[in-house]
Amino acid sequence: MTETMLQMTGIVKRFPGVVALAGVDLDVRPGEVHCLLGQNGAGKSTLIKVLAGAHRPDEGRILWEGSQVGFGSPVAAVRHGIATIYQELDLVDGLSVADNIFLAHEYASAGFVRGRETREVTVALLERLGHPDISPGTEVGRLSAAGKQIVSMARALSHDARLIVMDEPSAVLAHDEVENLFRVIRGLTAAGTAIVYISHRLEEIREIGDRVTVLKDGRTVAAGLDARTTPTTEIVKLMTGRTIEYAFPPRQSEPADGDPLLEVSGLTRAGEFVDVSFAVRPGEIVGLAGLVGSGRSEILETVYGARKAGAGTVSMGGRRVRPGSVPAAVRAGMGLAPEERKAQALFMLASIAENVVASTLPRFARAGFVDRRAALEAAAAQTAALELRPKDPRRPVRTLSGGNQQKVVVGRWLLKGCKVLLLDEPTRGVDIGARSELYALIRDLADSGVGVVVVSSEVPEVLGLADRVLVVADGRIVHEAPAAELDEHQVLDLVMEGSAVITKEDVV
Amino acid sequence: MTATEPATAPDAPVLRRAARLGSLGEARNLGLIIVLVLLTVVGAITAPGLFLTWGNLLNLLTTASVIGVVTVGMTFVIIAGGIDLSVGAIIALASVWCTTLASQGYGIGGMIFAAMAVATIVGAVNGALIAYGRMVPFIVTLAMYVSARGLAEQISGRRSQIVSDPAFAQIAFNKVLGIPLLVVILAVVAVVGWVLLNRTTFGRRTFAVGGNAEAARLAGIDVRRHTLLVYVLSGVCCGIGAVMLTALTNTGASTHGMLYELDAIAAVIIGGTLLTGGRGSLVGSILGVLVFTTITNLFILNNLETPIQNIAKGAIIVAAVLLQRRGDRRNAVTH
Amino acid sequence: MSQPKSAVGRRRFLAGGAAIGTGALLTACTSNSPKEAEGSTGATNAPAAAAEGPAVTIGFSAPAADHGWIAAVTTNAVARAKLYKDLTLEATEGTNDPAQQISAVKSLIAKKVDALVILPFDGKALTEVAKEAMAAGIPVVNLDRAFSSPLASHTFIGGDNYGMGVSAGNFIAAQMKAKNIGNPVIVEIAGLDNLELTQDRSKGFKEALASHGLKVTARQAAEFTAATGQKVASQVLQANTKIDALWNHDDDQGIGVEAAIKQSGRTDEFIMVGGAGSKHVMDLIKADKSFVKATVLYNPSMSGSAISLGRLLAQKKGLSDLVEQEIPASITTYSATVTKENVDSYLPIGFA
Repeated sequence: MTETMLQMTGIVKRFPGVVALAGVDLDVRPGEVHCLLGQNGAGKSTLIKVLAGAHRPDEGRILWEGSQVGFGSPVAAVRHGIATIYQELDLVDGLSVADNIFLAHEYASAGFVRGRETREVTVALLERLGHPDISPGTEVGRLSAAGKQIVSMARALSHDARLIVMDEPSAVLAHDEVENLFRVIRGLTAAGTAIVYISHRLEEIREIGDRVTVLKDGRTVAAGLDARTTPTTEIVKLMTGRTIEYAFPPRQSEPADGDPLLEVSGLTRAGEFVDVSFAVRPGEIVGLAGLVGSGRSEILETVYGARKAGAGTVSMGGRRVRPGSVPAAVRAGMGLAPEERKAQALFMLASIAENVVASTLPRFARAGFVDRRAALEAAAAQTAALELRPKDPRRPVRTLSGGNQQKVVVGRWLLKGCKVLLLDEPTRGVDIGARSELYALIRDLADSGVGVVVVSSEVPEVLGLADRVLVVADGRIVHEAPAAELDEHQVLDLVMEGSAVITKEDVV
Repeated sequence: MTATEPATAPDAPVLRRAARLGSLGEARNLGLIIVLVLLTVVGAITAPGLFLTWGNLLNLLTTASVIGVVTVGMTFVIIAGGIDLSVGAIIALASVWCTTLASQGYGIGGMIFAAMAVATIVGAVNGALIAYGRMVPFIVTLAMYVSARGLAEQISGRRSQIVSDPAFAQIAFNKVLGIPLLVVILAVVAVVGWVLLNRTTFGRRTFAVGGNAEAARLAGIDVRRHTLLVYVLSGVCCGIGAVMLTALTNTGASTHGMLYELDAIAAVIIGGTLLTGGRGSLVGSILGVLVFTTITNLFILNNLETPIQNIAKGAIIVAAVLLQRRGDRRNAVTH
Repeated sequence: MSQPKSAVGRRRFLAGGAAIGTGALLTACTSNSPKEAEGSTGATNAPAAAAEGPAVTIGFSAPAADHGWIAAVTTNAVARAKLYKDLTLEATEGTNDPAQQISAVKSLIAKKVDALVILPFDGKALTEVAKEAMAAGIPVVNLDRAFSSPLASHTFIGGDNYGMGVSAGNFIAAQMKAKNIGNPVIVEIAGLDNLELTQDRSKGFKEALASHGLKVTARQAAEFTAATGQKVASQVLQANTKIDALWNHDDDQGIGVEAAIKQSGRTDEFIMVGGAGSKHVMDLIKADKSFVKATVLYNPSMSGSAISLGRLLAQKKGLSDLVEQEIPASITTYSATVTKENVDSYLPIGFA
């Protein structure tokens, strides 16, 4: 089995302002599990979209079973025998399991769906996937995330695909579900089907993978590594060592002391995270490092009261904050800049000023009428302090760059006078030049006495920005250390391997 | 089953039963059926010897027939994630077109052809602008609502055009096995619509397009072509409705179909179809139409005044939706 | 719709009229040709046109002609204006939006027309702008739907809604008496229920019947359209297993009522009386083969009279047969009952 099934060479894909793929090579052999590794933004998602026919590459060649092809559409890719299971599950909630599996390639005569046959084949597929408990007639919207994943897989199988691309299939699965997934994958590869497997978890790659291709900054940096024998340190080294370095502001010379502003103790939410405890002091930046799905964002949202904790307490300045209540958290002095800035924090059509004063409107109101001039002046003062560009606070927020939008959210909480600022992926969608400026701003805030919690999936960002780093894996804080004592490799080891591989010298 | 985390929702028995009944979401129609039964009881008590008669039932169904046919098309459009505000205007235009002196010259065949052709073409224009012109359905059909009725007024000179061919008027008189032809037409359209929605690839794909257009595209459905077809289907239903209404009133007029878009959308939504698309039930839509028609019928049988009718109508709509929501919540899944 | 919106169209007509010479009189004489019938309503009292006065311009504003009756009002006004050589008509596009009608009237005031004829969509909403016109010295003729202030118009000319009901009630009472029906079932299909005119019609009908010791058994409102007429009538027929007489307020919705009666097969059971006076209903009355036995007039010809009055006001003339030198403040047209006996004389004014 040395012949090549799929060979991609020199794939380039540009989007306006960004080169997502700058020359990617990938070759896949029949019956192998080929793992694709890379940090966030390395180009994995774009690559699989090219493979699935959803994006058309600007340059490069794709050889499929020896002949050059161009997948102009998702249908064309499927017709060639390539099926893709996307991370954002592409199912129709309102349709039944069977209907979803056979969507657009129904068993039908003259347009009429052959219901019995469809059901029978569906049952067989689900059994093969180890899930006879899912009924073909169930509405997909009523399934759990794991159930949906199974349906997606059944759909790929229903196409008789010879190459199945799986984008982080284990992210939504419980441990024994993953075992089941591996069993299915082994069954498929034994029959000659190739799998392109994307995951952040090295232990999974060691268990199921055959060969590894590593992507970094839109390029293939290593191809055809042995999944079982290549040392973790080498893989991590390949993935890191970014070409672009950011300027991080200097930390305070001495660690922050004084009474903690925010204290979290024993916080637990079933299925998301267990026994999370940490404290934030005035002037301190605490970083949470972890993968998507590790529970880091959930922890932040629970502290903020947007999710209700199953157990544990959150205190501000020594006083307990009522759990599960955002207003209570805000009154206590917390502010959250969420990951989905545009959807969860900003009024995109409104002006900068309106966004900045959104949480403090009562302050500018007399008998219910907003004193627009006072509000505008306050907003202008705030945006000037944040060095927002453009300066005019009457401009609509949607015209701002990602970094400046983030400043608007931060400005809102500063105006509110918040004591602890929770930042979830603060630099997502912020271009590289603007990041350093945002880092400096966050540091300035801390220096003025605000406590900051930063969540980021980019390890260098957490290490460079935070005073203290908590590493989150599988819903637990597996490690805590001053940022200066950690390096990227150690953290990546921790987040990818879980608590099992903490080496001696890492434990403080 | 090896999973510790159950793949299916915990509260499944009701759903399984619904699934066994053959179609998803039909269980939610229970609320409407309860409302209909209540209305029937009220009718039997307040209008004894009038409401529960064969004659009144057929008359009620005849009254429901035109809006019922339009609602079938509207159900497809809304499930596909769209909206059609132009149905009433299409009916007006088609009725006027088929009753011009020129059309009437071709006799009943020519008149029916004219109505169907005009309505289908208008539906296709709607669909093409939405699917290929990438315009918002609300805007496209709102524009059509205005201009189609305008064209109807232009052609008719804002006058009622009386049907001179007795064969055409006969459509409203004919009976099939004692049942008025118009009611039979409604039944046929509803059954064909149900089969199309629940038993064919076209119907399944309609749900997919409305529920998750991106997923539908990735699965290989030609979403644009499908969107076009859904609006054509709505147009065809309007054409049938126009023929029925023209026969029923023995006239074509630019005032025909006034507010039908609201009646049809209300019936679809009351029937449990999501206004955002992707989920819905044709049986629910038809039940919605029947609830509305029965309410009006009850009021007229009891000779109630218009203001009282309007107050009660609003109250009953809210009650129906509340009942339906309770039924829904019982089936709901906590994620 | 052939509504001359611009002065250009108007001028073309004037030129044509000049070529004929005694155009106005000629037109008046040939008015009984069928094509002219619908518009040349006032032809019978054409003499006013003969006495030519100074050239005047009259502004005309009415609701959108989305109903046969309103359409006839507009065409009648235009046709009547064509009879006068000394008159230019500035007709604005009809609208059912009071705000738009107000701005239309304002534009007419700005053009300094010599008189205004206004059929307001909503009398109350248009009162202020009419007052403005009066204050600017432009006499206003208020057509059919009354303003809320007498200061807003010089003259009101309108139909008699209450009288319509009375005429219908009296006719039905007489018929019942002639047929010797003791306790008749009388049903009423009204028009749009939230309009004052509908309430007035029903009141007249009820009170006229009461004076004969009769009452309305059932009353339901349709919406002035054929489709709603059919829908309501079909169910009223279900609700009343025996009917002796039916009055339908409006002949446009009557097309639907008529269809519903035919569909119920109860064509020989009762008599039906129409309202307003459409050509279609008058034809049925003349043929005397159906259940439609009469209609009570609410005639759109009144717009022709309004144009005549407006012209006289603009020329500062009075009605020659009256003792007073001025145009009266209020004229209410009579709601005649059209039956088989007199239908021939009314056919020319039946609207299509």
